[in-house]
Amino acid sequence: MTVERGQRLTLEHVTKRFRREGQSEVAAVNDVTLSVEPGELLTLLGPSGCGKTTTLRMVAGFEQPDAGRIYIGADDVTELMVYRRSIGFVFQNYALFPHLTVFENVAYGLRVRRLPEATIHARVSQVLDLVGLPGYERRFPNQLSGGEQQRVAVARAVVVEPQLLLFDEPLSNLDAKLRVQMRAELSRLQRQLAITTVYVTHDQEEAMAISDRIAVMRQGTLAQVGTAEELYRAPRSTFVAQFIGRVNLVESRVLARSGGRVAVALWDASLSVPGGDGYAVGQRLSLVLRPESLALVAESAKPAEGEVVVPGIVRSRTFLGEKVEYAVEAAGALLQVVAYDPTRRGVVEVGARVGVACDVTAVRVLGAEP
Amino acid sequence: MKRDPVLAPAVLVVWGAVALFVLYPLGRLLVLTFWNGGPSLDAVRGLAGDWTHRAALVNSLLLAALVGVAGTALGLAFALLAVRANLPRWIAHGLDAVVLLPLISPPFTAAIALIFALGPRGLISYHVFGLTRVNIYGLWGTLLSETLTYFPIAYLTLKAVLANVDPNLEDSAFSLGARRWRVFRTVTLRLATPGVANAFLLVSAASLADFATPLILGGTKFPVLPTQAFLQITGLYDMRGGAALCFLLLVPALAIFAGQRWFTERRGGSFVTVTGKVGAATRVKTLSPAAVAALAVVCGLVVALVLVCYLLIFAASIVRGLGADNSLSLTHYAHVFSGGLKAVRDTLVIAVICMPVGGLFAVVLGFLVSRTQFPGRRMLEFAAMMNYALPGTIVGIAYLVAFNDAPLALTGTAFILVVCYVFRYSLAGTRATSAVLAQIDPSIEEASASLGARRDLTFRRVVLPLVRPALLAGMTVLFIRAMTAISATIFLVSLDWSLVTVRILEGITNLELGQASAFSVLVIVLVYLAVAVASLTMRRLNAGSLGQAGTLLGG
Repeated sequence: MTVERGQRLTLEHVTKRFRREGQSEVAAVNDVTLSVEPGELLTLLGPSGCGKTTTLRMVAGFEQPDAGRIYIGADDVTELMVYRRSIGFVFQNYALFPHLTVFENVAYGLRVRRLPEATIHARVSQVLDLVGLPGYERRFPNQLSGGEQQRVAVARAVVVEPQLLLFDEPLSNLDAKLRVQMRAELSRLQRQLAITTVYVTHDQEEAMAISDRIAVMRQGTLAQVGTAEELYRAPRSTFVAQFIGRVNLVESRVLARSGGRVAVALWDASLSVPGGDGYAVGQRLSLVLRPESLALVAESAKPAEGEVVVPGIVRSRTFLGEKVEYAVEAAGALLQVVAYDPTRRGVVEVGARVGVACDVTAVRVLGAEP
Repeated sequence: MKRDPVLAPAVLVVWGAVALFVLYPLGRLLVLTFWNGGPSLDAVRGLAGDWTHRAALVNSLLLAALVGVAGTALGLAFALLAVRANLPRWIAHGLDAVVLLPLISPPFTAAIALIFALGPRGLISYHVFGLTRVNIYGLWGTLLSETLTYFPIAYLTLKAVLANVDPNLEDSAFSLGARRWRVFRTVTLRLATPGVANAFLLVSAASLADFATPLILGGTKFPVLPTQAFLQITGLYDMRGGAALCFLLLVPALAIFAGQRWFTERRGGSFVTVTGKVGAATRVKTLSPAAVAALAVVCGLVVALVLVCYLLIFAASIVRGLGADNSLSLTHYAHVFSGGLKAVRDTLVIAVICMPVGGLFAVVLGFLVSRTQFPGRRMLEFAAMMNYALPGTIVGIAYLVAFNDAPLALTGTAFILVVCYVFRYSLAGTRATSAVLAQIDPSIEEASASLGARRDLTFRRVVLPLVRPALLAGMTVLFIRAMTAISATIFLVSLDWSLVTVRILEGITNLELGQASAFSVLVIVLVYLAVAVASLTMRRLNAGSLGQAGTLLGG
């Protein structure tokens, strides 16, 4: 397989409307502008109905945008039929041709391109090696396990050396263990081939594990685009904060600001957090407190250096082996707290009076720059 | 998908063909009926003056209703026995094989057999019971013959419906304290009601369209519309009168067709859905042993009657004259393979041409209506169904009106016979194609497109191989119908191109029943062979999911 950087994919103001029966038009995708760098893996992440699959299908050419342009490299492909775009598409249900063997499934795109038989044989066995299925050539799809079908689907998509690789929730039909294994393999394969890739999923963990960048979508629009770390540390909206990981959003207001930092109120304390210049003193805002930066301490414990403590009562507890998740009622709200390694550190009973300690360096203002 | 370079031409070709061979002839028929130098109702009004025409309308409707009731009842009895009585497998298969006989037989078969069995010197009526005053001709004989011929339609429909009633639903009624009869009434039958209504309409439509049986058994005292239209044209050379009679037949036929579509398509009316997820396997308990015994007796008698009929046909074909001179003789077969050989050859040639042409047409049409979007798609689907839904007599006379003169003087050619069958009997293949495609996720075709294949290449390389079972089923139906049809094509045959079924009719009218029987036996054997070959191929195609008989004979 030739290792060749893929093409840049650019979407400019792409919109797609659907007319549901008896209803007015709904914009499934609304004015989306996005670019995917050569060789990059970008994930479209969002809840069902957010427009991520529709966006992917427009990139593939299965759907026509009602407005906007789509470019692969410098070429405007908006009007181009699917079969004239150089894409590899991996479907949620794999869509293997049930009447063809593994070999013929993978060879399909090469035969369409009328390559010589010798080339076809060489390329197919090369790519079957690559996905770890040598010797499977003569089997039929219904003789394969889900994971094997998935690999054939990937092999079929990459063997034609497409400029773009598109995945539509490719792992959602696999069981949890296999999903984790396959996403590592897909990630390795994509890096090896360096094909520009768009990957659709509703699973934020999968997205964080596999992506160079993630585009979070909501109701047909882009909510935020960035690396997994950026999205987790500096969510720009409540939606993104809640969709990427678990979060406590605590109401607060600006007490003072100076030199790119703002002083905000947290419970009865005041602390200084990074923030832009766009804040006015007295302005209301939300603080992002991830459950793992909170800790349970003794009710009467004094705050350590760099900590803020609020008293509370444990209302529920979920034991998950390597960690325990608590819900603690404190300062008029229910805080999510995660404590790791419960075997060593012990477990707090429901109803116990505790203190919740917050690491102030981890606190961010919702919507602030990272 | 816009800008598809293949879709538009394909749609245009199919629309063009349907317009020329379905809409145009029907249009000509209506014009002939209602236009005589200007709009005119004279032709229809003229019918009212003749008692036979008035009687024909009443008789046709009465017969259709009676056959509908009797055929549905019999079909329900057979279906209950087959699906709800825990029969041993070999009995169930035997039941299916016998029931298949009337469906694939040439027309007249049941009628001739009933004359042999229950006629004035009939084997059963005279030789067994010594009755001399049995009159098989008229309403009752026609009713009996048509019921025996068409109850299998109801059986196949209801068998599928009952098989889809989840026995777990019956179990839950039992668990709530209901007893057998109550469960059967309130759950089983209630769930099957739309299916029963559908079966009634299908059987009634078949009876309304039947031309062969009343021609033999109706006699002069029991005229019906298809035979009257035929006689009006072939006997009196009155095209306009024939067309007007066709119109009288068209109205109830369309009403039944509309009703049938309504029953099969309305949402909420059909409770039986194929979810693919069946509940726990459970033994069906709704039928008491006494009920099973009663059903077995009724069905056993009918099976015996059907078998006797076919044995009589076979017997008549190998003796000099059944009932008069019972010495063995092969003279009838000698005639079939000498004087009758041309008709056999013509029929086979036409049937064999029909198979690929009609099969491909069916698959393309099925693909277009169920997998693509274009303006007028529903219209095309409906128009393509017209020739199938309408009685053959109407289609035949419409073709005669449309294609008898220049510029399209096609009657009497093999071409028009093929066209007639293709547009009349492709629907089974179209439906099978839609059914297969419904089970195939559209992403399979998208996968092909994403790999660089154009729509036509995708159709050839992906769709066509996947719908092979449907293609095969469609071609088998075309073969069976081309071998056995008469109602439409009797108007289109000529000296150059004749058909076996027409020779059978000639045999009957010339009172050469032995010859007619020999032709019938030959057709039955050929058709059974075709069904056997198709079943074997189907099994090799690994298409177990398609109900074989149901798909083959859905039309």
